[in-house]
Amino acid sequence: MVSRDLFEKFVANALSAGAEVREVPAGENVAVHLAGILGKEGILRLSVSEDARPLLRDPAGDFVFLPVQEPADFETSQAGIVRADYGVAETGTLVHLDLGDVEKMIWTLPPVCAALLDAGKIAGRLADLIPEISAHLEASCLPGPQVSLVTGPSRTADIECQLSIGVHGPSRLLILLYGGPAA
Amino acid sequence: MKRMDPRLRSTLRDFSRGFAAKREACFQGLDFERLREDLARMKDQAIVRNAELLDRFEARAQRHGSRVLRARDGAEANRLILDVLKEHGVRKIVKGKSMVSEETRLNEFLVRNGVEPMETDLGEWIIQLGAEPPTHMVMPAIHLSRKDVAGIFAGHLGREVADEIPALVRIARDEVRKAVFGAEAGLTGANALIAENGSIMLVTNEGNGRLVTTIPGLHIVFATIEKVVPTTGDALRVLEVLTKNATGQPISSYVSFIAGPHRGRQYIILLDNHRSELAADPVFRGILRCIKCSACLNVCPVYELVGGGEYSYIYMGGIGSLLTAWIHGLEHSKEIAGLCLGCHRCEAVCSAKIPIADLIVRLKTRLNEETGSELWKRIAFNGMMARPGIHRAAFAAGRAARPLISRGKGYARKLPPWMGKYDRFRDLPAPAERPLSRLFKDWTASPAAVPQGTPKGRVIIFPGCLIEHFYPRVGLAASRVLSKLGYEVELGPSACCGFPPANSGFPAAARRAFRGIVEKTGNGGWVLTLCPTCTTMLKRAGPELLGTEEASRLAGRTTAFAQFLAANEKEALSRLFKKRRDAGPWTYHDSCHSKHLLGASRDSRDLLRMALDREISEMDSSDVCCGFAGAFSVEHPEISAALTGGKISAVKKTGAGLVATDCPGCLLQIGGGCHRQGLDVAVRHTAEIIGERL
Repeated sequence: MVSRDLFEKFVANALSAGAEVREVPAGENVAVHLAGILGKEGILRLSVSEDARPLLRDPAGDFVFLPVQEPADFETSQAGIVRADYGVAETGTLVHLDLGDVEKMIWTLPPVCAALLDAGKIAGRLADLIPEISAHLEASCLPGPQVSLVTGPSRTADIECQLSIGVHGPSRLLILLYGGPAA
Repeated sequence: MKRMDPRLRSTLRDFSRGFAAKREACFQGLDFERLREDLARMKDQAIVRNAELLDRFEARAQRHGSRVLRARDGAEANRLILDVLKEHGVRKIVKGKSMVSEETRLNEFLVRNGVEPMETDLGEWIIQLGAEPPTHMVMPAIHLSRKDVAGIFAGHLGREVADEIPALVRIARDEVRKAVFGAEAGLTGANALIAENGSIMLVTNEGNGRLVTTIPGLHIVFATIEKVVPTTGDALRVLEVLTKNATGQPISSYVSFIAGPHRGRQYIILLDNHRSELAADPVFRGILRCIKCSACLNVCPVYELVGGGEYSYIYMGGIGSLLTAWIHGLEHSKEIAGLCLGCHRCEAVCSAKIPIADLIVRLKTRLNEETGSELWKRIAFNGMMARPGIHRAAFAAGRAARPLISRGKGYARKLPPWMGKYDRFRDLPAPAERPLSRLFKDWTASPAAVPQGTPKGRVIIFPGCLIEHFYPRVGLAASRVLSKLGYEVELGPSACCGFPPANSGFPAAARRAFRGIVEKTGNGGWVLTLCPTCTTMLKRAGPELLGTEEASRLAGRTTAFAQFLAANEKEALSRLFKKRRDAGPWTYHDSCHSKHLLGASRDSRDLLRMALDREISEMDSSDVCCGFAGAFSVEHPEISAALTGGKISAVKKTGAGLVATDCPGCLLQIGGGCHRQGLDVAVRHTAEIIGERL
């Protein structure tokens, strides 16, 4: 179980990077909680990564899980639902050990990225995850292993140094933390 | 691009201020010195092991399905990339930010050969569409306003475009996506190549890197050989400093480690372009530590004035001049190397602790040797400063002409119109009636020269040329202070210390001048300096040039006047200072060498606070160069004028009637500038202010 300090540090740094963070209360179903958030906003057409599917077995509401394989399949997707493998408290970063290009597209192409993260997988520092990252990158059984670190939404300050959110990637990064420590 | 365009200046100034605050916040609670020392050590070792690490990287990358190709130079790299594109029938390629493709002018090459490249980083895309030169390594379109960008987009789209940033960003999102979806290949750079697993590390904020590496079926990584590091942990060392130092973010939005293609193909082109030769050069190999964070640009006073369009060949700023000399040829580096003030401000923020300003001096030496130097420099440095007799005679001639050139209050008459660029922004001082060496002789004969209280030993004051010939009052003030504190005071040699020739790349002249100083400064007692630049010469540059034991001993005996007092006499001074409580608002200008090389300005600030019994009214950017910088103000009077103007504006904003500083060059520049503007502001050396309060 992650410590309350680490959990709060992750939340604070993710918020400061521009992410939205929601904690799924103990005992509450992740899918139902997510449905409550997205459904209210009319975000119904979802592209869901393989590793997130087991957590989304019983989504309430009128959601449509889009079949996505190619970039054009994302045209009507309102949100990508993904599962992060780890969190990093010092920067509020999500770490994903990518298994394929489709997953990367789900993280990147829709305007909203909703990432599910088991709070028990929050590390203090990125350096604490070097063994996991290295092992994944060295895995010779995979075709081109990749690792993504995602911190907040896509951003740019290329015009007049003014911060703009959502240039080429999602304009919203919603992190759903489940399995967190008791308050 | 117009040199020192006012809008560009204002944008870069705001950016620089904002960057400093964000950067500081990012490193809060972290030991930046330790982080960058670790990074520098890792990079140094990786440079030595470069060939072995590249072989290992190549083997691992190929095992994961990438094809690795090596290029000796830019032309070969461009050809290899074109061959790959032709082999796969590529007509359109989308690009992530890649400095190396600018190094080889890849875009122009591809266009000439029928391939259409499109930049996807917003700033890069804007300047590509507008055919503008980049102004910053990280933010290439920083010189353009939203109106400019709207005009560029309107030209591209053939329709009206609102000059609102969110709308412009939306256009970029739509257009870039369209292009990425339609492109047959994507090309990116790499922030690190990891030898242990053959992966690349790619850092972006916008997410375009993720699109370019994922959507098209073919990904080309174009990277230079010094990017290879041994392990994933070493790549994270780069990352930890890179984002904080580049944009003031704890981490960028997207960091991707890519060990190979998921689907499609991946090629990795490794470019040498003289980097192997650079790695074998014991003096300059440290340049290869550079991780292209551009923090050095963000704090460079000259860059802030002229921008990267002016201050670049392809790579920008001081570090750019060094890279240019090796990569694009010595002759292309001359102009940009000449724009370095030598203030050393960049070195305090460099991610990899590269001694940029020191290396530029070494580069100037090579430039002088291999491409020749200006006549006036050869006369001034070889003919005058290296020869104490001629040096003294020249100043004596100036004093003899004093009735003709002086206009009272210590200032010279205005220069003739054809030389007006040198004094339009400042009144230059007239030579003093009598040099310090003569005044000091009179003073030693006076009762004031007898040390008070128990004698504490002998100290030698090293005045430097400006104090000897223009500001002898500073030398006398320091002598009085030391005598009151119980020291027997001697005056050191009044010749040039050798710094001006050393800093301009004339080591032989510098060695000759400095050897004379070593010989004439005796063997015992502290040598107290009144000019931070002379201190730098006596403590660092001179001993390095001479390499003798005598020079090292002199370095060990030398300390700045204020540092000596702070270390030995703080208590005594606190008793001696007259508590007059009459000091008005005052401010302090940190001279470049005092702060950035000697770390001495903190001592001066403490002593002055005690002496004046009043807190400093801090000026904006107190540690930015005043514009004097020795030969720089002769070579670039327009930049010197702009720096002085900025300094005086900062002084005015404080409302201070007194500016304290530790450098006679800064006295000349700020004092002369204030006098020219008719300001009622006294500009004084720390020694004078302390002397007045005893």
